[in-house]
This record gives sequence, C-alpha cells and structure tokens, in this order.
Amino acid sequence: MRRRIDRTRSFWAILLALAMVVAACTGTDTSDTTAGGTETTAGEETTETTGTTEAPDEGTDTTAAPSDGAVSNPDTFVHAADDEPTSLDPAQVEAGEGGETVILQVFDRLVEFSPEGPDLVPGLAEEVPSDDNGLISENGLTYTFMIREGVVDHLGNAVDATDVKYSWDRVLTMDLPESNAGVLAENISATEAPDPQTFVVTLNQPNAAFLNSVVTLAVASIVSEEAVEANGGIVAGEPNEFMATSPVGTGPYVFVEWNRGENLLFEINQDYWGTPANLDLRIEIVPDPDVRVLGIRAGDYDTIETDPSFVGDIEGAEGVTIFQGEFLLEPIHIAFNLNFPPDQIPADDTISADFFYDPLIRQAFNFAFDYEAFVNGALGGFGAPTPFYLPQGVLGYSEDLPVYSQDLAMAEQLFTEAGVWDEGFTVSVIAEQGNLFEIAALVLKDSLEGLNPNFSVNVLAVAEAQFDEAHASDPLPYAMWVKNADPFADPHAFLHEYMNPDGNWGQVHGFRNGYQEPDQIAEMIDEASVITDPDEREAIYQELASILYEDPMWIIAGNEVAVMAHRDWVQGFVMNPLWPRPSLKFALFDKG
Amino acid sequence: MQIRDYVLRRLMVLPILIIGTSLIVFTLTRIGGSPIGIYLSHEMTQDEVAEIEERYGLDQPLPVQYLTWAGGMITGDWGWSGVAAAPVRQVFPNKLGATLELAVAAGVVAVALGIGLGTYGGSRRDRLPDHLTRVFSISGAAMPIFWFGILLLIVFWVGLGWAPIGRSNSNLFQSIAHPTGLYTVDALLAGNWSAFVDAVWHLLLPAVTLGFGTTAIITRMMRSSLVETLSEEYVDAARAKGLPEKLVLRRHARRNALIPTVTVIGLSFGFLLQGTVVVEIIFRWPGLGRWMADAVLRGDQATIMAYVMFTSVLFLMVNLVVDVTYAYLDRRVVLGA
Repeated sequence: MRRRIDRTRSFWAILLALAMVVAACTGTDTSDTTAGGTETTAGEETTETTGTTEAPDEGTDTTAAPSDGAVSNPDTFVHAADDEPTSLDPAQVEAGEGGETVILQVFDRLVEFSPEGPDLVPGLAEEVPSDDNGLISENGLTYTFMIREGVVDHLGNAVDATDVKYSWDRVLTMDLPESNAGVLAENISATEAPDPQTFVVTLNQPNAAFLNSVVTLAVASIVSEEAVEANGGIVAGEPNEFMATSPVGTGPYVFVEWNRGENLLFEINQDYWGTPANLDLRIEIVPDPDVRVLGIRAGDYDTIETDPSFVGDIEGAEGVTIFQGEFLLEPIHIAFNLNFPPDQIPADDTISADFFYDPLIRQAFNFAFDYEAFVNGALGGFGAPTPFYLPQGVLGYSEDLPVYSQDLAMAEQLFTEAGVWDEGFTVSVIAEQGNLFEIAALVLKDSLEGLNPNFSVNVLAVAEAQFDEAHASDPLPYAMWVKNADPFADPHAFLHEYMNPDGNWGQVHGFRNGYQEPDQIAEMIDEASVITDPDEREAIYQELASILYEDPMWIIAGNEVAVMAHRDWVQGFVMNPLWPRPSLKFALFDKG
Repeated sequence: MQIRDYVLRRLMVLPILIIGTSLIVFTLTRIGGSPIGIYLSHEMTQDEVAEIEERYGLDQPLPVQYLTWAGGMITGDWGWSGVAAAPVRQVFPNKLGATLELAVAAGVVAVALGIGLGTYGGSRRDRLPDHLTRVFSISGAAMPIFWFGILLLIVFWVGLGWAPIGRSNSNLFQSIAHPTGLYTVDALLAGNWSAFVDAVWHLLLPAVTLGFGTTAIITRMMRSSLVETLSEEYVDAARAKGLPEKLVLRRHARRNALIPTVTVIGLSFGFLLQGTVVVEIIFRWPGLGRWMADAVLRGDQATIMAYVMFTSVLFLMVNLVVDVTYAYLDRRVVLGA
C-alpha cells in the first residue's frame, strides 16, 4: 500500500513539474522571440505598404501601445546598438560602421541634414553656402563658410576656422584607408582660414554634390586642434589612438567612457552652442536581436536597432512603438563580375570569363530573381525594388523609372537567346554568413535552380573577415557576390561608385567589357556631377537609369525601409536615413 | 637525481615547450587564412589593402611575422583586436575577470544548491522531495542553456522586472577602480556597498543559468552517493547507538557521500567555463567566451592567437606545478625521470 502511495505521489510530482515548465513556456510569449513567427506576421502586415515602389512620405507610427509604467532611466536615453564601433575618430571611421553613430553625436560638421529630410541646415557654419548668399563662387569652385563665434570643444578650448582647416587637413594628411579621406582628397585642392571666422575651400572642379556628399560626411567632422595636438598630433598614415577611443568634439554630447562589449557613455554638453541635449546618453552594445527585443519590452532600452525581420516580435508589445520612416540608402545588391580570373574562381564554376559580358544574360538573371520573396520574406515587407542606381530618396529617383520584377518567361527567353539555356551553368556567389546577404544569395539560387535544373548556384556563406578579404581583392576571384551599397546622400556617389565604367567597381569588375555604350555612360555620369541646376541633373540621371536598366551590372535585390522600435515615452522621435545609421540624433529626444 | 635538479630541468624545458606551442598556434592559425580580413572595410582598393597590410606588418615574410608576434607576446604587445577595437592586451584582463567572476559565481550556486538538494532528496528517498529533486536534476541536465537563459530573461527581466541584464549599472561603477577585474571584489575594495549589491544582482541570472546544469549533476551525484552511504552498515550502527537521524546524516553519511561529489565538482569547473560562451551572449556579459565567439566568427586572428597562447602557457605552468608537487610527494617520480 505504501509503495502504491509513493508511486501516486511520484506521478503527481512529475506532472506538477511538467506543468510548471509548460506554463513557463506558454505564458510569457516565448514564441514571439523566434524569427520564424516574425517574418510571416510582418510580411502580411506590410505587403500593402510595399507592394508598390512608393516610399513612405513621412515617418509613420504603425503600432502604438500606451505604456502604463513609469519611465525607465528618466535622466538617460538608452539606445541598444547591434555592434561595437571600430573607431570613434572622424579621420578613421568607416562609412556605414557603428563609429559613425558616435561621431554624429559628439562632433559637429559645417552643415548638417535637417531632421525633416534632405535640406541642409547650418552646423558650425552660420549659413549654408549657396549661389544666392554669394558663399559659392560663380565658377562653383570656391565655398566660403562663416564659422560661428564662441564655440568651445568638450575640453573648453575655443574652436574657430583654424580648427576647421586643421580638421580637414588632418584627414587629408592621415589619409587612412578605412576612412572616407579619399572623398575629401578627390574634391579639394586647397583649404584656407584667412581669419578666425572664415573658412574657404577650393575644389578641383565644380561639384554640385559637394555640400551633400562631402561636407556632411563623418570624415568632415570638426575636431579641436588643441585636443589632438595634446594627444599624439597628426602622423601621416597612422591612426591616432586617443581620438579613436576618446573623441573630443564640439557636439551636443561629451564622450565619457567606452566599456568594451558593454556600452558607451555620454553626458550632455552644457556648453553646446546650439540647443543642448535633454538627457545623458548610453549606447548599449547588444548584438543579439532577441535580447534587443526583450530589452525594449522590459523598458530598459528606449530605442533599439531594428531589423525588419524581427518587427513581428515587437508589434503589439505594450509601451513600444514601431516607427517606419524613409527608405535606407543602402540597397542590397548582387554583383556581376566581368573581370574574374577564370583560373581562380571556385573549381565547380563552369562559366567562362566572358559569361557576363552578354547583357542578355545579365538581364535574364535580373528577370529570374524573386524580388517578392526577398522583400516580403527577408525584409519582412519593409522594402522595395530600386532602379539603377537611384535609391528612393536621392535626387533623380522616380516611381516611373524602370525596375526589374520577376518574369520567368522573359528570363527563359533571354537565357535561350544567349545560348545558355540548354547547356546550363554553375556559378558561385560569395556572401557574409548569417545575414540578409546570405538570404539574397539563397533566393538567387532558388530562383535560378527552380527555373532550369541545368542551372546551379553555389552559395558560399563565409565569415565577415573572409568576405572582406575577397571583396577587397583585385581581380576579385568570384563571379558573383552579395552586399549592400555604401550609403550616400547624392546620386553621383552611387552612380560613380557602382555604375561608372571608370569608377571603383567599374574598374574592378571590368564594366567596359560588358557595357554597350561605356563612354556614353561615363560621360553622362561625369556631366551630371558638375551641373548645379537640380532639374537638369535629375533629367540626366533619369535617362541614365533607363540606359542602365537595359545594361544591368547588378541585381538590386531590394532597398530596406528604415524601421525603428522605440518606447512610447520617447518624445520628439525623428530619424533621417541621410544621417549615419541608425539615423538618429539623440540630442533631439526627451522622455516623459 | 635531486628534486632541485628535477625542477631545474623542467624549468629549462619550459621555454622550449612554449616556443613549440607558439609555433603550432601561429602555423595552425595561418593555415586558416590571412588575418587581414578583420581590418578591412568593404570598399577598399588594392592600394588601401596594401596600406593596412603594412600597418599590421602583414606584408612581411611569414618568419618575420612570427618573430614579431612572438616578441610582442613577450613584451606585452599582443596585437590589435578587430572585434574589440582595442589592443588585445588592454582588453584581455577585463574579459578574463568577467568570465572568472561568472564561472565562480555559477560554481558557488551549483555547489551550494547541488549539495543541499542532493542531501535533501537523498535523505528522503522515494518521498515527494526526492522525486522533485530528481525531476529538477533531470530537467537541469536536459534543458539547453540558451533556452533556459532566455526563459529566465523573459520571466525575470521582461515580465517581472526584477533582474537586470549586463554586468553592472555603469553609473555606479564609473568611478570605481578595477584592480581585480571582478566587479564584486572591486566594489568591496572600494567600500561601495550599493555597487557590490548591484554587481551581485547582475550576476544572479547568468550564474543561475550557467550553474543550473552543473547543479543538476551535483544534485544527482550527491543524492545517489548519499542513498548508497545511508545503506552502509556503519550508518545502521550509528542509528543503533541511538544517535538522532540528523546527527547520523551530518556526521556519518553526508561527509562520506561528499567524497565522490567533490570529484565531480572539480571536473565541472571546465564545463562551467565552456558554458560561459552561450551565457555571455544571452546575458550581454562582456567576458572571454563572447569575445572569443565573436573573434572566431569574424576571423579576428590576433585575439584568437593571444587567447590560445595564454591558455596553453597557463596549462603548461599548471602542469609544471603539478609535476613538481608530485615530485615532492613521491620520490619515485624524480628517480624515474
């Protein structure tokens, strides 16, 4: 009898324990944190928004749940970033890298993009130079910036035009390969500071995009001469370790501390020349997206860097708003390499060196790609196709420009005309593992292999360092690769970088081997860059977009919409994709 | 041979072993590819890549690179960690401190809970408490750490708001020096009680998560051992003497049952260190495990080589100490050598 009672107790004990485990699993929305559930939900909810190529005109709050709880960290704004910066020095920071976030808060530039959009507003310069105010010379070669009086850096040193000249000359002298120093060097022939309030720049040739695409860059941020000279000064070709880890600027936030792997701390700059920030700032390093989602749900983070693929995890969370803004300026593209060394590509590849010379094949690849699957799946519906090479939001973009959509019949016809339909081919695509780029490569694989069993695509998903090394090779030993574009504010930068046969990628990929009219394309890109009339420029870019559609050098898988989750208590929330990622200026925010 | 000669000989061999280890570490890492990738950005030209190679000495012949690296390891220049964006040597002590603190805290949780629950269950064999501890130990051994950690975060961080995430409240620790790298100890040394409480509070969830699996193993071991001990004749003899059951348990049974359990506890510390990788990622714990996982995934060879070299040398040193200890304890070791 005793034995029987013990068995009964044992049964109930086990049942109770199991019930507790099950209750713990089902009662706390665990399933919301898995990636699988999010894609479906987010995709369904956003199909209507992104089914067309329209960019949202303004930032819109798609979900708003009022928060009943008290504000967490009332004196500090807490942002959860997805990665650790590599350098905080404007002279060393890489475009699109986490350090730009810090530089945007700690440093000023001469002019800035306004919170509302692409309009420029004064920064350390009192006015934005223009033809009307006479601060741009008639020949378009000289820009004069009148520098504000009474500006001090975070150490209390006065900052004037000599510091501005010092800052730009410093970048040019250091000329670090990681940075955008080359952009300054390409454009500038001389800098002068004739008096403490006047800074004059002379360009090599007129450049309509100078203010938008050079002066606003992180690399053009203003540092204090005293601060740099007291901490290592300028050494050509060598990074300054002090500035890379302890930046001193004039911006609304004073850098305090960088705890590696944990966070970066900032305080309000009480002596800021403009409107001071409302709150101190803490940027938490949180690489795991699930933890970022949990953190904003818990109320510990005020904003989190949000990938469209996990929006579904946040939607409906109490006290959390999902802000859907403009398109990012970093389209995800798949490259055609027309210059690969045949003996160095992966052994399985069967394509010949001139395979991508034929525009029919490049068009066929573009028609075969399943854009809808990528945008609605990987991007969770927060994205759209993009014309060549004018992302939504830059000058020249229009909804009327031609964009590719999947047309399998057309793809088959073009592959047949090109003579590769029957014999097929094998090609490898290299991509960084575990992110949207790998998914884009897999979508290409599915698209082509589903179209014709004789087509084979090998996706080589590799570590970031391995990808970067391959990506920087010339000649590049892969016929195809996937990455996103660097963000630029002006169309010339995109077209020169990614379409010009004489531009960076044009040379590495041998675009002249494939373009039907390479000289015409190069001339049009160069011509548009020096025209100051926006309408005239726009017309050239739109004509170019149509030409490049017929002669595509990339597959543009899609362009992401800027999405950001923030707590309801964040006041004055605004994001501008023209600011470096995550496109936020924290000094504009308050909590309450 | 005298013990002194034996020790001297071992000490003379040690540098050769370290050099051999460094050669193996360097060669094996380089077989995996060039370390240049972690320092590159996506749009660099060939000239810019060449500049980066020159900056890090990667344009030199491999033997020169080896000598530079090995010399740096001796002089304290362990290379630049691309993942941490700082010199490896500067970051390493903080990360090591964070991981040790977590592992020790998890060990304390595991030992205290494991012995307590094992004793409690084992002394109540086949009764409800025993069944519950068995369910607990089975679930602890079966439950994946990452799942359990996320579960704790959802309940105690998001749901109840009781527990924080990360290593500390940065505001509290901003002004505290870190002579040991162990935040709890540093806070005590600084005499800052609120910082100490904060450090312990931050340690709680990751330590429980990391220690859960080990707790289960220790609980099971302790229970089985105690059950076996309680059936020994000398325990019956103690009971026959009229000793109260509590005294029988405490003085006679538990002490002997602890012997095999202590062996398991010793072996478990390695298991705890392995588990830190997952726990540090989930709980944003800035330790060695998370750093190394990042370094491996992103190909940060300077970090990987420094870590492997450090652990290898540590192992060699520990091995030396053990061998010397054996020699003192047992003369045959020396004579045999």
